[in-house]
Amino acid sequence: MNQHQAVGIVMIEDDEGHARLIEKNIRRAGILNDIRHFTDGHSAIEFLFNAPDGPSKNGPAMILLDLNLPDMSGTDILARIKAEGSALRRAPVVVLTTTDDKVEIQRCYDLGCNVYITKPVDYESFAQAIRQLGLFLTVIQVPDVEDAG
Amino acid sequence: MFGLSDRIASGKSTIGRLLIGFMVVGFISLLVAGATAAWVMQRNEQHTAWVNHTYEVQLGISRASGALERMETARRGYIITSQPELLANYHAYQRDLAQAVARVRALTADNPRQQANIAQATRMLDMVAAQRARTVALVQRGRTADAIGSFKAETVLKPMQRARVSGAAMLAEERRLLALRDREQRGSVTTFYLVMTIAGIIVLLVAIAAIATVIRYTRDLDRSRDQLRYLNDTLEDQVAERTADLSRANEEIQRFAYIVSHDLRSPLVNVMGFTAELSAATGPLAELVDRAEAEAPEILTPEARLAAREDLPEAIGFIRTSTQKMDRLINAILKLSREGRRAITPEPLDIAGITDTAVAAIQQVVDARGVTVTVERPVPRLVSDRFAVEQILSNLIENATKYLQPGRPGEVTISASEARGRVIIAVADNGRGIDPRDHQRIFDLFRRSGAQDQPGEGIGLAHVRALAYRLGGTIDVASTLGEGATFRLNLPAVFQASQEATA
Repeated sequence: MNQHQAVGIVMIEDDEGHARLIEKNIRRAGILNDIRHFTDGHSAIEFLFNAPDGPSKNGPAMILLDLNLPDMSGTDILARIKAEGSALRRAPVVVLTTTDDKVEIQRCYDLGCNVYITKPVDYESFAQAIRQLGLFLTVIQVPDVEDAG
Repeated sequence: MFGLSDRIASGKSTIGRLLIGFMVVGFISLLVAGATAAWVMQRNEQHTAWVNHTYEVQLGISRASGALERMETARRGYIITSQPELLANYHAYQRDLAQAVARVRALTADNPRQQANIAQATRMLDMVAAQRARTVALVQRGRTADAIGSFKAETVLKPMQRARVSGAAMLAEERRLLALRDREQRGSVTTFYLVMTIAGIIVLLVAIAAIATVIRYTRDLDRSRDQLRYLNDTLEDQVAERTADLSRANEEIQRFAYIVSHDLRSPLVNVMGFTAELSAATGPLAELVDRAEAEAPEILTPEARLAAREDLPEAIGFIRTSTQKMDRLINAILKLSREGRRAITPEPLDIAGITDTAVAAIQQVVDARGVTVTVERPVPRLVSDRFAVEQILSNLIENATKYLQPGRPGEVTISASEARGRVIIAVADNGRGIDPRDHQRIFDLFRRSGAQDQPGEGIGLAHVRALAYRLGGTIDVASTLGEGATFRLNLPAVFQASQEATA
């Protein structure tokens, strides 16, 4: 069985339209992995760390993260994921956001984000970027989640 | 602040007048006291002289009376013994008497009462002398018995007595005068003490008043100084506070612009994304319409044909151009807000070199437009931020070569001069010019002037002005419609970090 199929994608994105466009383009790139979508930070964290079918209890995952969330900053979630002792700290995190502020980008990499992508307003570039991300997803190796504790 | 300095100034003049007044009063008092002392001293000297005089007169009188008595004794002895030594003594005492009387007369020449007394005494003495001379002459001639007889008979005692009385009267007169002078002396001494006391009291009062004034003034000064020091000490805090307020407000605006641009961008991604999806979806739809037209034209309504072939592509096209424009505007706001947060790093700049580079960067466009660009040399020294100055100059040059007067080849001249610590860079063109009503407006974001026949969003000059402000400078334009425009950038010759706060 293809190992990649087991990798779930967790998308934390408050904008339904963006989420839909991202999903469409990922599917177009031929990625069929399961995508779980959350529109706010708290339910996403709940799923990531505590849900029985969530990644920390149940296999490897890759996280697509938007920084502008209604209830918290995406960087807080990033910090939680990459914190010392977190079960998910080896899970790849792709920050996908409209912000192209240098300081913000640096901060995300400092916190341990693996890839930072600025959503281009130009749709062709956007679709291109997501498709490339899809290609990236087909080749990366995602480590198994350690037992929390 | 102003009230304080006013009070100090007015306090100073009042206090000055007061102190001068006190000093004048004090000096007058001292002067009066001194004059009184001198007068009293003089009076004292006079008095002493008069006392001495009295004593001399008294001495003269007592000498005269002594000589008179001794003469009598010598005469009596001579009458009895006829010894010549006694006669010689007698004559000696007679001379003494004459001397003493002459002395007293001379001393009392100014006193008519004493003159009268002395005249009386002299008369008596003359009588006494005549009797004595007679008896002495008798003894000399050997007629001792006659002489004794004459002596017995003589009434000499009476004139003697009267002469003594005159002497006593003179002594009494002198004592009276002495007492009188003593009283005068005491009076003047009393006056002296009185004057001295009054002068002393005045000086003391003046001194107290002056000291009180000085103390009050000093206390006022102390208070003013404390106040000034307090203001001075808190000045930096106040400035820091204001600066903090300003930079806070500035940061707030920056943050606002930043958030707005990002939050505007987010829905725009959707609009553009789904427009693209829509556009992609029209492809199969148009194909279907084509196939229907070819295979079963009866199912195709004109409306469906029109929608698939014209309405949908047209709508999508408008949505696309509008969202693209909106994207550019948002990017412009973002750029401005970022520029405001960029750190300024001043360095010595070669204006001519920067201008040449800026022209070279758009050389193709400049050539295509048929414009000649001239940079006047030499240029003054400028210490400022390279990136900002480059941006400003390339924007201004781009504009100058862009808006030409039809039928006139473009000429752009860039020159720079220095005046009073400021460098003025002028970019002059002979283009179509700017309506005076728009001279301020063109520096606002998204505002343009004249015919909208050139591409552009109205961002360049807003950017230029924001940069000029950040460099502590200003930008303005002088222009006549149809004749060209001159943009003048006024920058500090040496960029000071503090100018950023005031900009």
